[in-house]
Formats: sequence, C-alpha cells, structure tokens
Amino acid sequence: MENRKLSAKEIIESYRGRHLRIMEVCGTHTHEIFRLGIRKILPEAVELISGPGCPVCVTPVGFIDEAVMLALDRSAAICTFGDLVRVPGTEMSLAGARSKGATIKMVYSPLDAVAYAQEHPDRNVVFLAVGFETTTPAACLAAKKAKAAGLGNFSLLVANKTMPNAYRVLKDSTDAFLYPGHVNAIAGTAVCEQLVKEGVSGVVAGFTANELLTALAVVIELSKKGKPFFRNCYPRVVKPEGNVPARELMNEVMEPCDAEWRGLGVIKASGLKLRAPYRDLDARLRFSLPKITGRSNPACRCGDVLQGKCRPSDCSLFGAGCTPGHPVGACMVSNEGACSAYYQYGGNFNG
Amino acid sequence: MMCVGISAKVVSVDKDTALIDISGAKRTVSADLIRDLEPGDYVMVHAGTAIAKITDSDVGETKKIMETL
Repeated sequence: MENRKLSAKEIIESYRGRHLRIMEVCGTHTHEIFRLGIRKILPEAVELISGPGCPVCVTPVGFIDEAVMLALDRSAAICTFGDLVRVPGTEMSLAGARSKGATIKMVYSPLDAVAYAQEHPDRNVVFLAVGFETTTPAACLAAKKAKAAGLGNFSLLVANKTMPNAYRVLKDSTDAFLYPGHVNAIAGTAVCEQLVKEGVSGVVAGFTANELLTALAVVIELSKKGKPFFRNCYPRVVKPEGNVPARELMNEVMEPCDAEWRGLGVIKASGLKLRAPYRDLDARLRFSLPKITGRSNPACRCGDVLQGKCRPSDCSLFGAGCTPGHPVGACMVSNEGACSAYYQYGGNFNG
Repeated sequence: MMCVGISAKVVSVDKDTALIDISGAKRTVSADLIRDLEPGDYVMVHAGTAIAKITDSDVGETKKIMETL
C-alpha cells in the first residue's frame, strides 16, 4: 500500500468513524462551505450544523423595535449596516419605518455614521451597533472619535456581543466548533485554549477552500484521539495575542453585560454596553427609551436553527412563507444567515 | 457586515487611514487598529477598519498544518 499522507479532502471523504457534529459558528463559513461545494463531499458520519455567528440573526426582535421607535417617535436618523434593514420587528422592520418617512441610512462602517452626523448637525443620528468581536472595535472607534470631536448629535444603540459564553451554552450541541477566524483575529486564541480545559474542542478556520478543508480534516484527525483539542488553522491572520490595540480600545469604551440572544435567551456577560465615560452616547439613555420586549412570529424556528436543533429546511415556513424576498426570520434576511444559505444553495443535502 | 476572506493591499497610509486595493477596487479605511502599517502590506478589512495583517499564502500555511497531523 502506498505510504503517503492523505490530503485534507481525502481525510474528509474517507472518514467512517463515529458520528461527528461540527458547528460552523461564523455565518460566512456557512455560506462559503455551501458555495465551495464542501457539503457535497462530506461522508454520512460528518454533520455540519450552523451556529449563532451571524450578528444580525442573534439580535433580538426588541432591538429592531427600539430602532423603529427611535426613527419614528424620536425622529432620529438611523445609520445601520444594510442587513438589519429588512429584519422584522414586532410591528415593522426598519424598511417599514422608512416607508413611513423615517430616515434610515445604510453605512459600510460605523465611522461613516460619525461622518453623516458631522454633515447633518441638525439631525440626531443613531448608529445601530451590532456585531461580535470583529465588528465591535469599529463601533468603539466611532464612539471615541465622536466624543473627541464633541459631536453632540451622535449616539449608539448598542447590542454588541462576545462569543466565549455562547460557546459554553452551545457546547453540548456539537463535538467541535469551527471558530470564526476574524473573531479570533481580534480576540486571539487564549479563550479557545481555556475552552479545551473545560472539555470544549474546536479549530480556528479561515475562509478559502484550502483553509476550510484543512480545518475540517484537522477536526476529524484530532477527534480520533478522544481528547479535547484546539488548533489554530488560520495563523496567517490569527495570532495568539490577537489584535491588542483593538481589544484595548474595546475595553476602554465598552464593558460586559448580560445580553439576550435570539433563540438562546439571556447569556451572562455575553453582551457589551458603553462604559460610564461614554454613557452620554447611549441612545437608550439619551432618548429615554422604555424597556421593550419584542415578539417574533411563533412559527419561525430561527431560535432552533441558531442552536443547531433543527435545519432551516425543518421549519414549516422555510421556502413557503419565508424566503429571502419575504423573510419572516432574521436567519433568512441576513446574507450571513443559515436559512438564507440553505435557500440560496438549495440546501437540504448532507448536513 | 460579513467576514470577507479576501485580503486587501495597502496602497498608501495617511495618519489614521489607509488607501487599500481589493482586486482593483480602491477604498479608504481606518488604520487605527494596526500598528506599523506600511504600503505593500496586505490586511483583512472589516466594517471599514483594517483588523489584521495577513502574511502568507493559504497554500503554504495549510500544507504546514497538514504536515503536523
């Protein structure tokens, strides 16, 4: 028999061991795995489940309701990433608010929202700050620059989240995580090393075909050893120490708080809020927003999808009442959402 | 807001911003979060902010990882 090392693809295709559930946490991983055809080469014993790594998907309905209230009742100009605009709120989405005359401005970066506020001194401008460790530094940069510029008409509605405690909540849903490479680019790998000590396995994965296949092959090979493991399979971007200036900035501007995740409920110390010196930029305080609890469509199973409890195609709304053109749940709205990926790639195959 | 796995080449750096080139498309992004950024570097960009330098090809890197298995 030829004595050579198998390629990553060969390791994956030839695997016949115990059933492995691998959770890809990042929404872009979900989409790239579909787009690159990786699901089609998976053996039966490898199941990929989509986790909660799409920031728009885990943002609770109440946040959309708060933004709609700011836009319609408080006449604030809302600056937001585009994928939040069509997420249904209890009564309407931000797109619906825009149709009633609200100003909803899509921005590429939180810093664009600061520039918009500078250009429109007569408007109160609120940036909708959602996202994980990857996105939060940019929101913190916006807060810091707005404060330094003495910009009195700029504030943030903050719902930023951090991943570590979500991994802990979801650890029994999976045998190993494909950790989201760009979260670790900021956070470093210390959390993953700590999770190994708690019995949680995973590898950091990049985004190319080579990187994703390698990460899956590493999970398969290390799982055979029967011990918790961690491997950084994206070292060209992810350094053990992460991005130190970005973390210092986050720590200066924001502090941990408990946070509600759509489908997962409240997870302790998994959210972020503005620290006291920046609290004058908190839109909830500035506009005296009441506490709002949103209601989502009871038939929508986004919550189960986000926990890996069901596939998007197991939801009775999938492809029927809920499509990318007419989304009911956040996972169908966002380009990063698992339902959107399943719909786009015809996806009820292998996983 | 998606994590795009495409690196961008730094064309020029001006104080806290950098002009980047992604496959021919140019855009100014924040360079606040990367120390010692220089023209010719490759970076990952997220939400208008350079978040990490990228230093090697994926092929060389994945080959090395596979050799450790």
